[in-house]
Amino acid sequence: MDNLKESIILGIETSCDETSAAVLANGRELRSHIISSQVGTHQKYGGVVPEIASREHCLHIREVIQQAMQEAGVDFADISAIAVTYGPGLVGSLLVGVAAAKAMAYAARVPLIAVNHLEGHIYANFLEHQDLEFPLLALLASGGHTHLILFRGHLDYEVLGRTRDDAAGEAFDKVARTLGLGYPGGPYIQKAAASGNPKAFDFPRAWLEAGSLDFSFSGLKSAVLNTLNTAKMKGEVLNTSDLAASFQLAAVDVLVQKSLRALELYPAKTFALAGGVAANAMLRELLKKEMAMQNVRFVYPSPTLCTDNGAMIAIAGYYRFIAGKHASWKLNAVPGLNL
Amino acid sequence: MKYLTIDTTTKITALSLADQGKIVSEGFLHTGKTHSERLIPMLDQMLHAADWKLEELGFIGVVRGPGSFTGIRIGIATAQGLAQVLKIPLRGITSLDTLAWAGYGREEETVVILDARKNEWYYARYKWLDKRQTLEGPKAVNPEQLICELDRRNRRYYFVGDAVPGAQQFIKAALGEKAIIPLEYQYLPRGAYAAWETWEQWQETGEVSIRDFSTVEPLYIRLSEAEVNFRKKHLEDS
Repeated sequence: MDNLKESIILGIETSCDETSAAVLANGRELRSHIISSQVGTHQKYGGVVPEIASREHCLHIREVIQQAMQEAGVDFADISAIAVTYGPGLVGSLLVGVAAAKAMAYAARVPLIAVNHLEGHIYANFLEHQDLEFPLLALLASGGHTHLILFRGHLDYEVLGRTRDDAAGEAFDKVARTLGLGYPGGPYIQKAAASGNPKAFDFPRAWLEAGSLDFSFSGLKSAVLNTLNTAKMKGEVLNTSDLAASFQLAAVDVLVQKSLRALELYPAKTFALAGGVAANAMLRELLKKEMAMQNVRFVYPSPTLCTDNGAMIAIAGYYRFIAGKHASWKLNAVPGLNL
Repeated sequence: MKYLTIDTTTKITALSLADQGKIVSEGFLHTGKTHSERLIPMLDQMLHAADWKLEELGFIGVVRGPGSFTGIRIGIATAQGLAQVLKIPLRGITSLDTLAWAGYGREEETVVILDARKNEWYYARYKWLDKRQTLEGPKAVNPEQLICELDRRNRRYYFVGDAVPGAQQFIKAALGEKAIIPLEYQYLPRGAYAAWETWEQWQETGEVSIRDFSTVEPLYIRLSEAEVNFRKKHLEDS
């Protein structure tokens, strides 16, 4: 076990539109972190174009990894294992990272570690707080997923609830687009909501059947669209800030209430927020207040670690590495991978 | 100088281990599995069987397209990843030039056709004299149009490439005696063809530096659909 403490993990992430690589020493020291974003490339298409994303990854992956290695001051001879995202995500994009990671791990004669992107998001919290105690409850909310997960220990987890339709981030994106605010929706909604009245509109919250920890955001999204359409037909102009603020409150309210309900059923020492929606200030503030009252430690990743990145893959990979969970050379990308 | 070649631009994973143009081991997998699942395990078996160490390689040849977009990227990402660790240079070769070796020594013109979907082929035409001469391509073509043009030229053609099995009857019906279609093991991509093509290129340019040959540019020929639509829309607007 002693030699495992001296580990250097190279983490690689290419699941969507960021090509990223990071070098993590001994599970705690982030020696380098390179993120090459394609956001600008996709903007004119109004969203991520899978084939273009894959092409961009192929062009940049070598350089991104090279930079991460150089900045960390390490060579492949120093690397203990290579961790890579194998799903969920865009299949063509994932395959670029998987192929590169496999070839490098094979040539460097080190273990290949397959990391679930969703696990990575949650593990981003361990980069900044190594001493998090279990049981740990996590709320993972992003453009593709909304999960409540109970971790009893490292890599030992159970999904308590998940969205039945739209993901939380997806609802933010769709509402932002309808309001003409821009993409990705989260930051734009938040900005517009700052000057709006959150009680101007009473949008529905989907609690689902009693005791359920699942989510549903499509009703809320439709309610916002219907309100807009009805007003349009009557020739009324609604206040965008009020709409954004009311929508944000409804979405955040559900996320917070379901989190508290989970905590009631599964008492935990730590509550961790993860995914792109974790960047929402209102969600953070409300959870922080609630968790303080419950005497539960509350953590969330810093902004760079909330979005897709190689550092979170490196740390999730580190815990798999020390647990001896190596992937086979037959590893394939799994675009629909879940928790 | 020992080298490895990788070709994942069609449904076949084709690898070779060669030394100074002499083929030492050849890998060919045409199964239902993906390149991602087959490539490294096959390479590992070949190295093991040949008693070769990866560290003995002097360079890597990789087929950079045209062909399956995903396949092109798996080949390049794999070759780059291996070369990055081994600190050796790469040579990119095209799938069409590589398959032209299937027609080596033939008197007819060698026509390479690869499945490009959307009722198109990636195509190039060659003539083998002392050296190989490229007569046309590489480009994406409409099959009916190409066969019609070839028919008008009144030459004889040797057809190779992964589009052959699906088009065999159509080609024979249109060109009759003018078309020669070899057996499947001859017209599909093989490690041996890539080994030859890579060695030819290597000899032509001589030793290359890792600095300048650490990456390989993919050859897609076609733009992504989103780019095509965007340009179309842009043209209509302006």
